Amino acid sequence: MKLQCVSLWLLGTILMLCSVDNHGLRRCLISTDMDHIEDSFQEIKRAIQAKDTFPNVTILSTLETLQIIKPLDVCCVTKNLLAFYVDRVFKDHQEPNPKILRKISSIANSFLYMQKTLRQCQEQRQCHCRQEATNVTRVIHDNYDQLEVRSAAVKSLGELDIFLAWIAKNHEVTSSA
Amino acid sequence: MLPRLVVLLAAFLSRRLGSDAHGTELPSPPSVWFEAEFFHHILHWKPIPNQSESTCYEVALLRYGIGPWNSISNCSQALSYDLTAVTLDLYRSNGYRARVRAVDGSRHSNWTVTNTRFSLDEVTLTVGSVKLEIHNGFILGKIQPPRPKMAPANDTYESIFSHFREYEIAIRKVPGNFTFTHKKVKHENFSLLTSGEVGEFCVQVKPSVTSRTNKGMWSKEECVSLTRQYFTVTNVIIFFAFVLLLSGALAYCLALQLYVRRRKKLPRVLLFKKPNAFIFISQRPSPETQDTIHPLDEEAFLKVSPELRNSDLHGSTDSGFGSTKPSLQTEEPQFLLPDPHPQADRTLGNGEPPELGDSCSNGSSNSTDSGICLQEPSLSPSTGPTWEQQVGSDSRGQDDSGIGLVQNSEGQAGDTQGGSALGHDSPPEPEVPAEQDPTAVVFRGYLRQTRCAEEKATKTGCLEEELPLAGGLGPKFRGCLDDEAGLHPPALAKGYLKQDPLEMTLASSGTPTEQWNQPTEEWSLLALSSCSDLGTSDWSFAHDLAPLGCVAAPGGLLGSFNSDLVTLPLISSLHSSDSS
Repeated sequence: MKLQCVSLWLLGTILMLCSVDNHGLRRCLISTDMDHIEDSFQEIKRAIQAKDTFPNVTILSTLETLQIIKPLDVCCVTKNLLAFYVDRVFKDHQEPNPKILRKISSIANSFLYMQKTLRQCQEQRQCHCRQEATNVTRVIHDNYDQLEVRSAAVKSLGELDIFLAWIAKNHEVTSSA
Repeated sequence: MLPRLVVLLAAFLSRRLGSDAHGTELPSPPSVWFEAEFFHHILHWKPIPNQSESTCYEVALLRYGIGPWNSISNCSQALSYDLTAVTLDLYRSNGYRARVRAVDGSRHSNWTVTNTRFSLDEVTLTVGSVKLEIHNGFILGKIQPPRPKMAPANDTYESIFSHFREYEIAIRKVPGNFTFTHKKVKHENFSLLTSGEVGEFCVQVKPSVTSRTNKGMWSKEECVSLTRQYFTVTNVIIFFAFVLLLSGALAYCLALQLYVRRRKKLPRVLLFKKPNAFIFISQRPSPETQDTIHPLDEEAFLKVSPELRNSDLHGSTDSGFGSTKPSLQTEEPQFLLPDPHPQADRTLGNGEPPELGDSCSNGSSNSTDSGICLQEPSLSPSTGPTWEQQVGSDSRGQDDSGIGLVQNSEGQAGDTQGGSALGHDSPPEPEVPAEQDPTAVVFRGYLRQTRCAEEKATKTGCLEEELPLAGGLGPKFRGCLDDEAGLHPPALAKGYLKQDPLEMTLASSGTPTEQWNQPTEEWSLLALSSCSDLGTSDWSFAHDLAPLGCVAAPGGLLGSFNSDLVTLPLISSLHSSDSS
C-alpha cells in the first residue's frame, strides 16, 4: 500500500515537472501585447516592403527555417531572433520618414520588453539552447550578411510579420483585442 | 556588297533601337495589388494611360524567397487576374510577389511589382452564409464559414484561423434602416432575443480574427419575420392556471352564497306561540271562570286621596299612570316577572316593603300598580263589610282595580283566610305589621280576580262613587267589594295582581304556602302589567286573553284611575259590556 502511494506520488511529480518544462517559455510571453506590434507593423508594412527590391531572397524563411523549429528550441530561437533584430536590424536601418520611424521605434521597444521577459526565464534555467536552435540562428545571420546592409535591414524589417506570426504560433499569445 | 551589308545593319539596328524605345515608351501599370478573400486571390492593376486596343498585360508571380518569376499570363486584356490556383499555399507560406507589365504588340512596359508581400495578412475575411431560425421567441443564427471550391480539403477556414475567431452581428428591424444593434459573438452559433417584438428582422455578419489584423467584410443581409405566437407552452399553461383559479373562486362564492341563504332555524328563544306567550296562563292553578268586574267601594278610595294626590300618576309605566318617579318604576319588575316561585316574589317583596310603606305614606309614589296607594288607618278583621277590610281583603285576593291598599296589621289578619283562595296577597298581612310599623302603608297594588256569580250579583248593590282622589284619578268607577272575607278561591285571577311586598317578607318568614297564591298573584300581576300595557291599543289581543281575565281586569281596576289613562274609557266600556 505504501509502495503504491509513493509510486503514484512520484509519477504525479514527474508529470507536473514535464508540463512545467513544456510551458516554460509560453509562460514568459503570454503577457506580451502582440496586437500592438502587429498593428504598428501593418501601418508601415506597405512602405517598408515596397523598398524591398529583392523578392527572391529571404532572410527568415529560408527553407521554411522557422517552421521546423521544435518546441524545446522555441525559447532559444526567440531569444536569438530578438537579439538579431534589436542589435542588427533596427540599428542598420535608416528611416527618413518620421512616421515610419515612430512605428519602428515602438516595435523595437516592444522587442526590448520581450527580451527582458525572456531573461527572467533564462535565469530560471528554462531557456536552453540546443544545436538545432544555434544552427537556425546562424543561417539567418548568414542570409543577412549576403545582402547589402541597407537592403538587408529593409528586408528584415519587411519580414517582421513572419517573425511575429511565428511568435504568436509558438507562444500561444492571448489576444488583447 | 559591303555597302549593302552596312545599310542592312543600320536598318536592323535602327529597328531594334526603335523597338526598344517603343517598349520603354509603353508605360507600366501605375499600381498592382492583390484583392484576396479566402481562397480567392485576385490581382488587380490599373491600366496604363493612353491604352490602346491592342494593349494587354503580362502577369508574373514569384514565391517570396524562392525561385524566379513565373509568368502566369502573357496577354490579359482585363485589369485583373485570378491567381488563386497558383497561390494555394498562401496560408502556409511566407507569401508571394506579383508583377504586371503592359504589352502592346512587341512593346513591353516595365514591370510593376506589388508593394507588399502578398501574404495571409492581406486576405479579407468573409462569411459563407448565415442561416436564421425562430425558436421560442429567439432568433437562432448559424454562420457558415466560406467554403471555396479551389481550397484544398485540408485548408478550411477553421483550420487556418483556428483561434480567436469572432463575428460581429448587426440586427436591423425592417422599417428602420439606420437603427442597428451590434453584438459580438465568438462562435458560429448565436441567438438573439427579440423581447416579444414582432416583425421582420435582418441580420448581417462580419467576421474577424482578434489575433490578426485581417479586415472583415459584411455578409449579405439575411431577413426573418417574427409573428406573435399565441399558443406557446407558457401561454397555454398560464391560461389554464387562470381558468382554474377563476373556477375555484366562483365555486367558493357559490358555496358561500348557498351557505348564507340556507334555510335557517330561528333560535328557540325567539320562537313563541301566541297562545302560549304568556306564562301566567300555564301557571294558572285553577280553572278559569268568566271574568267579572267587581265594583269597588268608592268610599274607600277617598282615604287614599292624600297620597294619591301627591303622587305622580302620570307616566306610570305599569298601568298607564305616568310616573316620573323612579320609585314607581322600581317595582315594575314585580309586575313583569311571571314568577312561578313564590320565593322569588317574596324576595322581591322583601326589598320593597319599607319603600312601599314609605311611599304610601309619602303619597304612594312607589306604588307600582297604579300609583294609588291607599292607606288604611285602621282595619279590623271583624269589619268585614267595611271597605277597609274589604280593601284589605281585596288587595289580597280580590279583583281590585289597581288600587293599592295600605292596611294595618289588624286588617290583614282577617284577610288572611280569604285572601289565599282568591290569590290574595293578604296572608302575610298579619305578619306585616309585626315586622313593620303598624302605620306603615303596605302597598298592595291592584288585584283583579275572577269572582263567582254571587259576586256579580253583588254588583248591583255596589255603590257607585266617585273617588275624589288626587285630581287626576278617574271620577267614576264601579267596584264592588267583596264583603266576604273568605272568598272562595276563584279559578284564576283574571286581572292584574300586584304583589304585596309585605307579603313577600311574610312569605319569606315562613308563612304557610297554602295561604299563598303567589304564583297566581304573580301571574295576575303579570297579566295586569301586560294588560295595562296593552290597554292602549291591543284590545283585540286582550280579548284573546279573556280567559285570563285580562280584559275585564283593567275595566274594573282602572275605573278609579286617572282619566288620562288611555285605557280608562275602554275599561269602562268593557265593564259595561261585561256586566251586560
